[in-house]
Amino acid sequence: MSQPFRLPAGGHVDRAQNLAFTFDGKPFTGHPGDTLASALLANGVRLVGRSFKLHRPRGIFSAGPEEPNALAEMRDGARREPNTRMTQIELHDGLVAASQNRWPSLRWDLLSLNSLIAPVLSAGFYYKTFMWPAGFWEKVYEPLIRRSAGLGRASGQNDPDFYETMQAHCDVLIIGAGPAGLAAARVAGASGQRVMLCEQDSILGASLLGQDEAWRTATLAALAAMPNVTLLPRTNVFGAYDANVVGALERVTDHMLASPAHTPRQRYWTIRAGKIIHATGAHERFIAFPDNDRPGVMLAGSAAAYVRRFGVKAGRRAMLFANNDAAFEDFFTLQDAGIGIAGIVDPRTDSAGAEAARARGITVWADSQVIGTAGTLALQGARVARRGSSGTDTLVAADLLCVSGGINPAVQLASQSRTPVEWNERLQSWVPGTPILPQFAAGSVNAVTGIAAAAADGARAGAAATGGDAAISLPTGAVADATVLPFWEVSVKGKSFVDIQDDVTADDIRLAAREGYKHIEHAKRYTTHTMGTDQGKSGGLIGAAVLAAARGERVQDIGMPTFRPFTQPVTWGAIAGPNIGKHFEPTRLTALHDWHVRRGAEFMDTGAWVRPGLYPAPADSDAWDTVLREARAVRRSVGICDVSTLGKIDVQGKDAAVFLDRLYTNTFSTLPIGRARYGLMLREDGIIFDDGTTSRLAEDHFFVTTTTANAGPVMQHMEFYLQTVWPDLDVTLASVTDQWAAMSIAGPNARATIQKVVEGLDLSNEAFPFMAVGDATVKGCPVRVFRISFSGEMAYEIATPAGFAETVWQAVIDAGEAFRIEPYGLEALGLLRIEKGHVAGSELNGTTTASDLGLGKMIKKRGDFVGRALASRPGLTDPGRPHLVGIRSVSRGEQIRAGSHLVETGTTLSLGWITGVTRAVELDGWIGLALLEGGEARKGTRMTATSPLHGESVEVEILSPHFVDPENARVRV
Amino acid sequence: MSVSEPPTSAPHAAVAALLKPGAHGATGGQPVRLAVRDVDIVQLLARKGRAEDAAAAIKAAYGFDLPSPGRSAGGDALAALWIQPDGWFLIAPRGTEGALARAVKAAVGDAGSVVDQTHGRSVITLSGARATWVLAKECRVDLHPAAFGPGRVASTQIAHLACTIHQRDAGPTYDLIVFTTFAKSFMESLTHAAEETGYVVS
Repeated sequence: MSQPFRLPAGGHVDRAQNLAFTFDGKPFTGHPGDTLASALLANGVRLVGRSFKLHRPRGIFSAGPEEPNALAEMRDGARREPNTRMTQIELHDGLVAASQNRWPSLRWDLLSLNSLIAPVLSAGFYYKTFMWPAGFWEKVYEPLIRRSAGLGRASGQNDPDFYETMQAHCDVLIIGAGPAGLAAARVAGASGQRVMLCEQDSILGASLLGQDEAWRTATLAALAAMPNVTLLPRTNVFGAYDANVVGALERVTDHMLASPAHTPRQRYWTIRAGKIIHATGAHERFIAFPDNDRPGVMLAGSAAAYVRRFGVKAGRRAMLFANNDAAFEDFFTLQDAGIGIAGIVDPRTDSAGAEAARARGITVWADSQVIGTAGTLALQGARVARRGSSGTDTLVAADLLCVSGGINPAVQLASQSRTPVEWNERLQSWVPGTPILPQFAAGSVNAVTGIAAAAADGARAGAAATGGDAAISLPTGAVADATVLPFWEVSVKGKSFVDIQDDVTADDIRLAAREGYKHIEHAKRYTTHTMGTDQGKSGGLIGAAVLAAARGERVQDIGMPTFRPFTQPVTWGAIAGPNIGKHFEPTRLTALHDWHVRRGAEFMDTGAWVRPGLYPAPADSDAWDTVLREARAVRRSVGICDVSTLGKIDVQGKDAAVFLDRLYTNTFSTLPIGRARYGLMLREDGIIFDDGTTSRLAEDHFFVTTTTANAGPVMQHMEFYLQTVWPDLDVTLASVTDQWAAMSIAGPNARATIQKVVEGLDLSNEAFPFMAVGDATVKGCPVRVFRISFSGEMAYEIATPAGFAETVWQAVIDAGEAFRIEPYGLEALGLLRIEKGHVAGSELNGTTTASDLGLGKMIKKRGDFVGRALASRPGLTDPGRPHLVGIRSVSRGEQIRAGSHLVETGTTLSLGWITGVTRAVELDGWIGLALLEGGEARKGTRMTATSPLHGESVEVEILSPHFVDPENARVRV
Repeated sequence: MSVSEPPTSAPHAAVAALLKPGAHGATGGQPVRLAVRDVDIVQLLARKGRAEDAAAAIKAAYGFDLPSPGRSAGGDALAALWIQPDGWFLIAPRGTEGALARAVKAAVGDAGSVVDQTHGRSVITLSGARATWVLAKECRVDLHPAAFGPGRVASTQIAHLACTIHQRDAGPTYDLIVFTTFAKSFMESLTHAAEETGYVVS
C-alpha cells in the first residue's frame, strides 16, 4: 500500500478505488472520500506550506474550514483557484494542487530568512518602517512586500466555468448537519413545514461520522423521504443579513476536475428563512506556546477526525497538550487506532480525563505545559515542564502534537444576526444569547456538547421553531465534557502564535497594547490578528485573552472584533454570478435594430440602449466622411433616423391638461387637439430637468415624449406628484416607450418622401403645418405622424406600433430613394442639433436654468409649476451666469474640443466652457456650443478656447448658437 | 392614393425568432419548455374613483370580475392580471391590430384609460416540472405552491429587468411579461438559466 499512514479499515473512504493526484508536481494516490489534506497525511506529507509573513514551514493543522496553514492553489491553468483549504478540497482523480507562498521550493524557501529577522518584522512593522520616503512606497516597498508576503496566485485568465445565483425561501433554515442540525431537521421536517438544511461539508453528520453511523444513516433516510426538506451539502452559509436573509455558497462541481456541460461550478444562494436554527457547532482552539506552528502540531479533535472519518493516522507517535477532558477522549481514539502514544501534558492538577488516561496506560504530566517544540520541517518532539517551575524540562519525542485549549462555539452567523453573545464560564468562550430575530441555537454552538446531548438540543430547537414533537430517537457517542481550565498561553520566551495564518504572536498583541492599540478592533488591525482566510476561528479568542491580560482585564470584558461576512472565502466568480460580460447589465434594442445591423451601422451605447452611431459606406475614408455625408443629406435632401429611444408616456384623464400645466414651465391646457408643443420641465430646485414635445390626441389624452436618458426619471417624477402631491387629480399614466417605434424624416424633401407612403392624411403645409399631429397608415400599418424637428429642417416623426417598424421604415426608405435618402445615426443627429443650437444632455446637465439656455420665454407668466419658486432665487437669476452661445474657430480648419475653457485671449481665467463641438455642413470648419459668462454681451467678440490637457489654444468667435436658420423658417415651409 | 389592406404582421415575431426550435442545453433530465405567446395586451387603468365602474363594465362585457392584487381572472380567451393599484393587463390571443383596445375602451368608456401595449410587452412562457428551479436563479419571488400558484401574479425584477409573472397552471406554466425592447437581453438570461435542465422549443 502506497499510503503508509492509512489505517486498514474505518472511515468514509473507499479503499477499493484509487485516485491519482499531484501535489507540487509529485504524484500521489488517495481514495474517494478523502480531502486533499487527509490524502497528503495518508501519504506521510507533513510540510504543506509556508507562512504568510515569516515563511515558516507549516503543516496541516485542522480538518475543516478553520484551517490556517494548509492553503493550496487548486487546479491549474485558467481554472487555478488560490487559497483553497486542503482540509476542504475533496480529492478527485487528476487533481493538481500546489503549495503557496514559497520560492523556489517548499522545502528550501529562501524567503524563510524572514524568520531570522523576525524580531524586526513585528506588529505594525509595515506602517512604521515603510512610511518614508513616501515615493518609495509604491515603487519599492509595496512590490517587495507583495512578492515576499502573500497568498496564492489568481489565474489571471478568464474563468472557463460559469457560476449561478439561486433564490430560495423556507420556513426553517438549519445551518449545520451535525447531531444537533440533523435532529432539528428531523423534528422540523416532520411538521410538514418547508425546511432547508445547509452543511458546508460534502457529507452530512459532522461528529457523528465514525461514531453513531446507524442513527446518522436512519436520520438521513428519514429526511430524504420528506419532500418538504431540502438538503444542501457542500453549502457554506457565509453571511447572515437583515430579516433572516442569509447568503450561502454551494460548491457544485469543485470535487470534479471539470464541470459537466451546463452545470455551474458554484451556486450563490440567497435564502429567505422564516426561522433559523444555528447548529453550526464549534471550532477547537489551540494554546499559544513557543513554536506552536511546527508541522506536526494539530488540533486534537482534527487528529481524531482523520482517524474516524478518513482512516488516517496523522502521525506515528502522538502526544496531547490539553486543558479539557473532551480532548482526552479524542486522543484515546488515536490510541485505539494504534498510533503510538507519547503522553499527555495537562495544565490542570487533576481531572477525570487524566485518571482515564492513566487507566489506559498513558503517561500524564499534570500541572504541566509544553514550552517549546523540536524539529525543523517536521515536529520531532515537545519540551514539557511543570507550570511555574524554572527547573529543567523534558524533551518528549513525538511527530504529532495534539493541542486543545477548549472550543469556540461558531457564533459568527448568530452574531451577524445581531444576537448578542454571552460569556460561557464553563467553555471560557462566547455563546449566542437571546436572539432578536426568530432564531435558535442548538448543539455545541449553544454550549451543549456530546453527541446525544447535542442531538437532544437540536430536537428541542426543531420543535420550538415549528411546534413539532421533539421526542425522537437520539444517537449515542462520546459524552464529551468540554469544561476547560482557563489557559490561553504558556508564558515563556519564544514565538507563541495566536494567529498562525497571519504570523501574529502573543508578543505582537502585547506590543499593540503597549503602543496604544488597546481596543480589540484596533489591536486586530494593528497586528492583522484574525484577518486571514480562517478569520481567527481557532485562535481569535486567544489573541483577545492575551490582549485582556496586557490590559489587566478579563477576556470576557474586552469583547471580540465584529463578526462580518464572509465566514469562509467566496470566489469572485460566485459573487459575479451570471452578471458577466454583456450581462453585466441588460441591453435595450429598438425594433429597428436588426435593420441597422444589416445596414452595417456602427453602434453606440447610450444608457441601456444600443443605438446606431453612423452608417459607414465603402467609399467613406473615415468616420467624418460618413457623418458629414449623413448630415448633408438632411440639410440638402432627406435623411431618416431611428428615434424610438425617446421616452413616451401616455397621459389620460379629465385633469391631464392641468397636470401637465403644473409639471411644465409652459402651458398645455391651451394646446389644440391634433397639435404638439415643445415643453420644458424643471426640478423642484429650479434647474432644468427635461424637455420634449407633448401632443394632444383628445381633450383628455396627451402623448408626452421625454429625452432618452430621462424616460424613467420623468415617469417617476410624474408618478411621485400624482400619488403624493396631487392625488385628487384624475390622471392615469402609462409608459408606451416600448409600444411605439419612431423615426424622424428630415430635410427639404421630407414631405415629398413620406407623401408617397402615408395614406389617409393630407400632408400639405396648409393642412398639416409645423407642430401638427395626425393618424394615418403606411402600407396598411397604423402610424401617427408628428410634424416636429430637431435638426432645424422640415421634418416629420412617424411613430408606429413596434411590430410594424421595419415595414414602415423600409417603405419610407424606398419612397426616399429618388431623393437619395440616407439613414443617419447619433453622430449626425448631434451635428445637426449643434448647428441648429438645440440643447441636449450636455447642456441639460443638471446645472442649467431655462434662461441660461436662452429658453427664458418658455417660462409662463401666470400659474404655478414645479420649480417656479426656486427658479427665481438670486443664484439662478444672476445675470452673470454662464449663457448658451455658439462658437466657431476663426481659422476655419482648426479643431476645437468639447470641454475646452473659454478665456479672454492672453489670460487664463476661465469664463466658460464648451459643451459640444462638431464639424459643420451648413458652414465651413468647426463649430460648437458653449456656456459662457456674460455670453449675450460677448457675441461678436473673439476669445481663446483652451484645453490645457491637450496643450491646445484655438481662437474662436462668439456667436448666436443658431448657426442654421435662426428665424426657424425651414421647419414651416 | 389607395388604402392598403390591414396588416397581419405578428408583433411578437422578432421576439419569437430568438427561440430556435429543438432541444437545447442538458439532455436526459426534465427539460423545461419555452415559447413566445402571440397575444394582444391592453393596459386598463381606472380613472379617479371609477374602479368599480370599470370593473362592472368588464364584468358586463366579458363575464368576470377584475382581479384583486396579486391575482389574475378570466381565462385563455381573455385574462385580466392585476399589475398596479386600479390597473390591469388584459390579455387575449392575437387578433386584428387595435381591436382589443377598441373593444375594451368601448366597454369601459370614460371609467378607464385604455392603452394598447401589444407591441410594448412580450410574453414568454416557461413551463415544466423544473420551471420553478430555472426561475429561482434570478427571481426573488417565492413561487412555491404554499406561497404562489395558478392564478397568481407578481411584478418583480428578473435578470435586472422588470417582469410580471403570471402562473397559469400547476404544471407549472409561467407567463413572463417583459418590456419588448429588453426582450432579447431577458431571453438570453432565461435560456442560459434553462440550459442546466435543458429546454425545448417547439
